[in-house]
Amino acid sequence: MTGTRRARPLLGTLVEIAIEDDLPRADTEQAFDRAFAAVARVQALMSFHDPESELSRINRVAWLRAVTVSDDTWRVLTAAQQLSVASDGLFDITVAPVLERAGFLPRHADHLPVSGHGNWRDVVLLPGQRVRLARRVRLDLGGIAKGFAVDQAIAQLRDAGVVSGSVNAGGDLRVLGNPTHTLHLRHPSQPTQLLPVTTTHAAAATSAGYFQHRQWAGRVCCPIIHPGTRTLCDARRSVTVFAYQCLIADALTKILYADPERGSRVLDHFRARAVMLEPVVHSGACRVFDSAA
Amino acid sequence: MNDDFRKWWAVPAIVIPAMVPAAISAPAFAAQYLTQEQAQQVLFPEASRFVAQPLRLTPEQASVVEKYARVRMRGAEQPVWRVEAGGRHLGWFVLDEVYGKHEFITYAVALDASGAVKGVEILDYRETHGGEMRQAAWRAQFSGKRYGAELRLGEDIKNISGATLSCKHISEGVRRALALHNVALK
Repeated sequence: MTGTRRARPLLGTLVEIAIEDDLPRADTEQAFDRAFAAVARVQALMSFHDPESELSRINRVAWLRAVTVSDDTWRVLTAAQQLSVASDGLFDITVAPVLERAGFLPRHADHLPVSGHGNWRDVVLLPGQRVRLARRVRLDLGGIAKGFAVDQAIAQLRDAGVVSGSVNAGGDLRVLGNPTHTLHLRHPSQPTQLLPVTTTHAAAATSAGYFQHRQWAGRVCCPIIHPGTRTLCDARRSVTVFAYQCLIADALTKILYADPERGSRVLDHFRARAVMLEPVVHSGACRVFDSAA
Repeated sequence: MNDDFRKWWAVPAIVIPAMVPAAISAPAFAAQYLTQEQAQQVLFPEASRFVAQPLRLTPEQASVVEKYARVRMRGAEQPVWRVEAGGRHLGWFVLDEVYGKHEFITYAVALDASGAVKGVEILDYRETHGGEMRQAAWRAQFSGKRYGAELRLGEDIKNISGATLSCKHISEGVRRALALHNVALK
């Protein structure tokens, strides 16, 4: 393989950046630094875990008064709202309390109890990049910010003069330059087994329970909430969405995972493709569902 | 694409039988990002000298580190380099590795002269089924070439779209490096 790859621990996972061009070494190093810095910035703004993040500030006070946010957070909140509208609420950034209860997110001591009835409609975006929570809901951008971070890192690589490269944040990835490329999807029950898929979509994201499932309410669950029932989804299958932006791919996996049937209508809207892998219990076989087939 | 006659999510496009090599390729994924020397240069581009100064902690020191870092000390010896530029002390380069449930990662933590984290770089990453990596035989196949040799395994696999691997162990490791500095490098 030509080019250079780097990996750093960010966003709670390993973020890998590849530069395939033959650039002078100093330029390559600078491009890596810029791209990693973009990811670190998204983490600093939108981490649920970090009490100092802009997101934590929203969660603490935005139900009392409107909070002015940065351009980046505003872009993600706006996109989240569009996805919620397009999916009729299948994408919902107010599911954090369910994830906290199941142990997927930490509980912060200064978090007040949530009302339990709120949803994405209670996140009010006001003029002047201000956010107000109409009810006591708690936001988690874990279903979308990672994809956004990948898009931001790709933009930095491009600005730094990189023609061909990629950014992979624990499976949420986007390539720069290669119109057709091959990705490998993990077998949901044997994650080290890989299924190659060729695509012309620059970005892809996968949601699956294989590395982060937990026992919850007597079932094996993954950290994806069905917004309708507010319960955790089953951990057995995996859903990969191919799209032109990683933010879109990231968010659409949550929609498709929760409801493949209704989610399919959203796919067309974003010119995206979904591949769902479902292991056949006992036989070890794997069913491959492909919206482009 | 999706029409009323065929719902893609209801009818599989294909069914891959168990373990067919043609359809599901290769065993585990592995990547080498930096050799130890490259990582030293990337984290301390201005350095002129890296002096190996492996740390051997007394049991008392080890227990202080464990208490502070809330993780166990693994080996008796921790590879550490003192970093200098023209006689001036720049900081420390700490090499460490973590075994996760699915992954095996070698990484480096750069500490500046005051002991603050200056950067973290992954040197080596490989993954496999959980049990395998705890077996000595499995680990032995990498010994001796861990920090230098090219790895052939999985070279054609560029991008895997899979669910997130946690880097919790690396965060713990960074905390341990900070504790080491406190206890033995100050």
